[in-house]
Amino acid sequence: MQEDNIAIEVKDLKKEFKVSSSGKGILGKLQALFHRRHKVITAVDAINFKIKRGEFVGYVGENGAGKSTTIKMLTGILVPTSGSAEVNGIVPYKNRKKNAAKIGVVFGQRTQLWWDLPVCESFDLLRVIFRVSRFDFNRQMEKLEKALGLKPLLEMPVRKLSLGQRMRCDLAASLIHNPPVLFLDEPTIGLDVLAKENIRNFLSEINREEGTTIILTTHDMNDIEQLCKRLIILEEGRIMFDGETEFLKQKFVHEKVIEVEFHEVGCVIQGIPGVTVVREQGCKKWLTLDNDNSGIGEVIGTIASQYKIKDISVKEPSVESIIRNIYDNRIRLSTP
Amino acid sequence: MNPKLFLKFVSISFQKQVTYRFDCFVGIVNGFLYVFIFTSLWKALYSQFDTTVHNGFTLTAIITYAVLVMAVKISFTMDDSIIYGKVMDGSIAMELIRPTSIFFMNLAENVGHSLFHIMARTVPIVIISIFIFDISIPFEPVRLLAFLFSFLAGYVLISMLNFTAGLLAFWFVEIFPFMLFKYALFTFFAGGIVPIDFFPEFLKPLVNILPFQYMLYFPTVILTGRIPLTEVHSIIIAQLMWILIMGVICSLMWSAGKKKLVIQGG
Repeated sequence: MQEDNIAIEVKDLKKEFKVSSSGKGILGKLQALFHRRHKVITAVDAINFKIKRGEFVGYVGENGAGKSTTIKMLTGILVPTSGSAEVNGIVPYKNRKKNAAKIGVVFGQRTQLWWDLPVCESFDLLRVIFRVSRFDFNRQMEKLEKALGLKPLLEMPVRKLSLGQRMRCDLAASLIHNPPVLFLDEPTIGLDVLAKENIRNFLSEINREEGTTIILTTHDMNDIEQLCKRLIILEEGRIMFDGETEFLKQKFVHEKVIEVEFHEVGCVIQGIPGVTVVREQGCKKWLTLDNDNSGIGEVIGTIASQYKIKDISVKEPSVESIIRNIYDNRIRLSTP
Repeated sequence: MNPKLFLKFVSISFQKQVTYRFDCFVGIVNGFLYVFIFTSLWKALYSQFDTTVHNGFTLTAIITYAVLVMAVKISFTMDDSIIYGKVMDGSIAMELIRPTSIFFMNLAENVGHSLFHIMARTVPIVIISIFIFDISIPFEPVRLLAFLFSFLAGYVLISMLNFTAGLLAFWFVEIFPFMLFKYALFTFFAGGIVPIDFFPEFLKPLVNILPFQYMLYFPTVILTGRIPLTEVHSIIIAQLMWILIMGVICSLMWSAGKKKLVIQGG
């Protein structure tokens, strides 16, 4: 049984895909006709997490880390190889239809609207599919229309919408039945800055006001920084971080980055304890300081006295750079 | 699945068909050409013999059969690539996230398709054929009613056949050649070319254990009057049995296939 305030619970969830590989060249292909070699790929490798009602969770990882596969298991599209998952207390891959009635899903690369129909007709079909009363529908639509600026789009056929417009419509479509849990798989992919901003504002609003639990996968770290209080980082199917986004920032905030621009190319920095050069480009160098070996002021002083510098600035690492470091294995994390 | 939703999807699918007007015109010509070819063949064949009745069919009876079996077959026109197309391009994911049955959504889409073909092709072809060929259809209200039942049962059976065949896409990436094979098998064993009465003896046991004859042959011969009214009910019962069997196969394949599903492209 699940506690009431838990929206999603995942236990040892695993998904393996069998991939058949045919050989190279004509001979290899012919050989594959009779004998196939199968390779098993573990997309999601026995992961565990719990998400409480009303949480806004960023689910990130590189391409192929298993983000989408997890979302597809939680939405009832894929059946896990082993382990279990519950969404709103329902097992999605066993009760697909029951689960579908209580979740909203947006896949940024696909649309759930009908290509040839005007947007408003798609919405009306979804109203019937999700058995939403006309009264509730009208109230919800009024809200969505205002928040997402849908008015001018309603009469247009879906195929004529731009990507940003379509995404707004898809978001609205996923919320017609006002689901308690919303899954967003790269909803800001390919959108311009303004469109992204609009969608972010809208998401944070429904999370705040409706208490909708939102799971967001994205490659845009600004999405994460602005929206997600909690972050789950996935690598090769395993969770390598699960905690507060703020915690991640705090933990690495002491690892400041110093950006120095010298007058000439090729200055060699050595002899300053705890300083490593992480990047060089022309006259610019980026340095990091190890844990409190020396004060930041001291280091800057030393550099300024030893070299001719044009400019110097101290930067806090962004979530993006932290995550990039995690991907590159430059930072080792222990899950708190 | 609620009936209102079903009808909505039927109407969307119907409207989609209406947009292809040229397709429809070619379809009428194509269908009529088939009727013409088959009736000409039968006439030529029958003129070679002194006897007028073959396997229980007079020339009028066989021509009536040829026209009507084609009419039923055209009415059953459906897009058998819907399911496997969606599995192949991954768009099936967008249907799985809805609280609806994939089979009934697919059926609704097929019904819309068929309604259009009945209106735009079956009706004109039957009307033209009545004037051109020597056709006799017994007019008995009970028979028409029985035909309607049998026709609908046959329709559900074909839908299930296509759905089940389409599900093979879960296991194999490309199943188009298989669908062609299925179509040939169906057309022949359902009596779409030659009535089953003309089949050689050794094929008959095979025909009897396959469901195909309940899809075209029996609905057609109920209408032509070849089946006495007293035997009609046993055919409809057999059809319902097959719907049950196919239903079980369908859902077994569906639950086995779901585990194999891989969504291509994100």
